[in-house]
Formats: sequence, structure tokens, C-alpha cells
Amino acid sequence: MAGNFWASSHYQQWLVDRQDLYRERAHDLKVLSEEDYQKIMMLFSNVIQTLGEQLKFRQQVIATATIYFKRFYARNSLKCIDPWLMAPTCAFLASKVEEYGVISNSRLITTCQNIVKNKFGHAFNGEYPYRIQHVFEAEFYLLEMMDCCLIMYHPYRPLTKFCADLNAEADLLPIAWRMVNDCLRTDAPLLYPPYLIALSCLHLASIVKQKDIKTWCAELAVDMDKVMEITRMMVNLYDLWKTYDEKKDIQAILARMPKPSPSRPPSEAPNLQDSQQQQQQQQQLLSSVP
Amino acid sequence: MQKYEKLEKIGEGTYGTVFKAKNRETLEIVALKRVRLDDDDEGVPSSALREICLLKELKHKNVVRLHDVVHSERKLTLVFEYCDQDLKKYFDACNGEIDPDIVKSFMCQLLRGIAFCHSNNVLHRDLKPQNLLINKNGELKLADFGLARAFGFPVRFYSAEVVTLWYRPPDVLFGAKMYSTSIDMWSAGCIFAELANAGRPLFPGNDDDDQLKRIFKLLGTPTEETWPGLTQLPNYRPFPMYHVSTTWQQVVPKLNSKGRDLLQKLLVCYPADRLSAEDSLQHPYFVDVNPSVK
Repeated sequence: MAGNFWASSHYQQWLVDRQDLYRERAHDLKVLSEEDYQKIMMLFSNVIQTLGEQLKFRQQVIATATIYFKRFYARNSLKCIDPWLMAPTCAFLASKVEEYGVISNSRLITTCQNIVKNKFGHAFNGEYPYRIQHVFEAEFYLLEMMDCCLIMYHPYRPLTKFCADLNAEADLLPIAWRMVNDCLRTDAPLLYPPYLIALSCLHLASIVKQKDIKTWCAELAVDMDKVMEITRMMVNLYDLWKTYDEKKDIQAILARMPKPSPSRPPSEAPNLQDSQQQQQQQQQLLSSVP
Repeated sequence: MQKYEKLEKIGEGTYGTVFKAKNRETLEIVALKRVRLDDDDEGVPSSALREICLLKELKHKNVVRLHDVVHSERKLTLVFEYCDQDLKKYFDACNGEIDPDIVKSFMCQLLRGIAFCHSNNVLHRDLKPQNLLINKNGELKLADFGLARAFGFPVRFYSAEVVTLWYRPPDVLFGAKMYSTSIDMWSAGCIFAELANAGRPLFPGNDDDDQLKRIFKLLGTPTEETWPGLTQLPNYRPFPMYHVSTTWQQVVPKLNSKGRDLLQKLLVCYPADRLSAEDSLQHPYFVDVNPSVK
């Protein structure tokens, strides 16, 4: 679906402002530094990316899954549902919504088992603990948390259009495209509309390729301050990457991450418990209606 | 869920029962459609997800409004605006007589709903009278985006495909994989004729072959000349060369000449030549459409 972005749930319900984001995150930021938090988000973006690649998803489906993940934790603490469960849940839901077709249950879980062992051994010890029933359960909460807003707009389409307009499909598009993928590791997709992210990546690509697109940019009626804000987020990400070694550092960060109580199944994570009890009561009420 | 008081059962769909209910706070009447989450293989069914996520984005007066999705223990309940009946029931109650102005008004609203969906790149793919809801103000709304016909008559003897068959275009009957907005325009044409004939279906075929024969008897059997690429379609098979022997006046005697002209432009075998929803709305037939519809 490529309808009208301005009338979409993405624009109307799911562009959040930075203060709200930090307020919701405050609980986790008591025990994690902002940088640690970002590193955790980066890890799970990588998990979703790898999972998606193994399941042969298109990049669009991977991007959708990654943003579902971000949306969930934009409104919930990391201890609410284990991100190792939420990551495949987002991939599962995105594959259905993007009409990729349902992936087989056993394949999803087997792929999770394989990647935690072979690709994320530095971050995950032991056997992958979740089964498809856990994914179904988590999917239910994910849907509710997103208020069923599932249709996503991505920067890839506007980026392709801008590059066509600039006649820059050969030089700028491939590098800007990769930057859009990198951008999934930042908060930008929760904060800014996709066309601004596309512009920011295009702008960065033009600097890398030393191609002057100032005149073209000057003709656009967009908020260039916002584009610059996104660009700064990207630059910060690239700075972080220069010194950060996920393989070496992530274990210590994950050890500090707030976790669900291990005795509870994911559906009974603390923040959701109340609403679930309430729903059960409501359900009893409903079923008593003839 | 205690927000809603269930009033009566109004239908049975693949995903469970549909109830008429009242919002206790606002007193608004709604339709509740339940999606059961069985613990088997796919979590929330993709067809339900499709309906939910599309209707969440499609807000138009000729598309049924999804007010809310209520999550409760192992169940999703979709809360829709309530409509009194579907077009199928309307036909059954009309005693073989529909005022030409109402035919025009319904057709206009159907095309507006379709045009809106198409402008959002959404294909309905299953337009038929059971999926068109009518409220007491004479407003028509597209419904059932991916879910079974919850408002329609329960399907007893036929599989869903056979029932839908009547509104299926010849390209899809020949197994075309690459269909587009034209699929909905064929269905719109079939529904237009049915409206004009007060509920008598235009092509009530029994199976794929019978369906195609009925179509070709009315429109003439297409050839590679009238339909480039016809013989390359996956399930193409030759049919007798029927020659057109019925006039459109015989097919839809109560429809005026402008209406017949529009109908002919919708019921075109070659999909690329079928009129679009947007263009249909510009057709002279609608010049004097009831201002309340405008």
C-alpha cells in the first residue's frame, strides 16, 4: 500500500517526539546509559536483519520488522518482553503484513536457534529458549501496543524518486540506500517522516561522493533543519561504530539490561499483567452476556 | 469489552460470529466481528491482519469504518460502524424493483469507494453484493477486506470461490497472475447490471467453464486480436466462437442509454481496456446523480 502518507497511521500516530521517547525510556535509562541503550537497539536491529536475510526477506520487510521492534520498546521497558523473543515476532508479523507470505513456524524457530548460535554467539549463551507459541503470544501484545498500525512508509521509495530526479541512480543511490539501512539503527524512523530520512541520507551520500546537490536541495520546500538533525544522528552513529566492537562489549551491556522475571512466561511480564487481568475480567463479563 | 452491549447476532463468518452491539457510553450502534486466535499455525490469521491494517488506513465514507480493535484473552474483536444490511439482503427485500435514481446513487458510491481504494493502491479483489453494506441513509460502503463474508448469507453448498465466481473477470478465470485494479472494475460492472435488474445476477455460472461461456455468449468470444496475450494465459483454453446475439437493451432493459454505455465500458474482456473507477465517475451517466450523494 502506497497511499497518502499524511493521512496514514504512520504519520498521525507513530511519529513521536523526542521528549516522549525519552520519558518512556526513562525507566531503562536508570540502569543503562543512552549509549548502551542504543547499542542494545543496534544489536537487535542486526538480529532482525540477519534473521530476515536468512529467511530471504526483501529489505522492505526487514525495515518494517525493525520499526515494529522500535515501536514496541518506544512504549515499553526492555524487561517487558525479552527482545530475543520480540525480534523474531516482529519479523513474523512483518512477513504477514507485507504479503511476503507466512513463514513456516518451524523454520522461524530453527533460524533463530541457528543465528543465536552461529552469528550472535558473542551476545547469546546457551540454547534459544522460545517456541512458536511464545511468538504468537508476543505477536498479540505487539499488535495491541502498536494499536494495529501496521502499514509502514519507508525512505526507500522517496529516495529512489529523488535520485531519479537528480539523475544520480548510479553514484548516489547505492550508498544512500545503505545509509537508509544504517538509519534503522537510530531513533530517526520513530521521529521523522521517511522522505526527510531519505533526504538526509542523500545529503550524506553527496558529501561522501563529493557531488554538489545544493541547488537541487534549495528548490525543495522542506524543513532543512530537520534534515540536519537526522544527519547529525547518522554522523553520531558512524562515530560510535568507529570505536565500538559489538563482539567484545555487548555481553557486559546485556548483563545490565532490565530483564523479564525468568519464572514468568512472556505474557505475564509486569507491565502487561494488569491490563491482561483487566481483559480477563472484561472477557468474563462479555461471555456472561447471552 | 464491557464497553459494548451485545444486541443480536447478525452473521456468521469464517472467523466467528458477527454481533450487533451498542456502545454503552455513546449509545452508538456498532458491529462486532471476532477473530479467534487458534493455537495452530499462523498466529493472527493473515487475512484478518490484512483487513485490520488496510482499514486502519482507509478512511472514506464509502468504505466501512473500523472504529477499534479490542484485544482480550486470545481474541481480537474488530469494532465496525454498523450498517443495516448488505446489498444482497437489500435485493431480497426490494421485490424486483429498484428506483433508477437509487441504482445510480449506489453505483456512484460503489465507484467512489473503489476509486478511493485504488488511489491507495488497495485492490478489494472480492467485490460482490454481500460485501457491500447499506445503511439506513442509503449510504453504500465497501466491506470485507480480506475477511470472509460475515454479513452475507451463510455459504452452504458452494465453496467461497464458486460464490465469488459470478463477479470474477475472464482474465482471472484464465489464470492471469498479474491482475490489477481492473479486477475490481469487472466486479463493479457485474454489480451494476445486477442493480439495474433489481438483484438478478448477470453471470450466475456454476463453474469456471460455465462462467466463461456465459460471459462470452453476451460479449462475444475474445480472440488474440481483441485481447492481445489471451492465448498465453496460464489456464487459457479455446471456447466456441459465440456471436453476440443479445442487445444491451435486452440485458438491462430498465437502464437508460448512458447507463448501458457505462456498463459496456466496464464489462470488457481485455483488462487493459476496462474503464477505471476514476474515469467511470466522469461518465455522463452520473451528471444528474442525486445531490445528496454528492
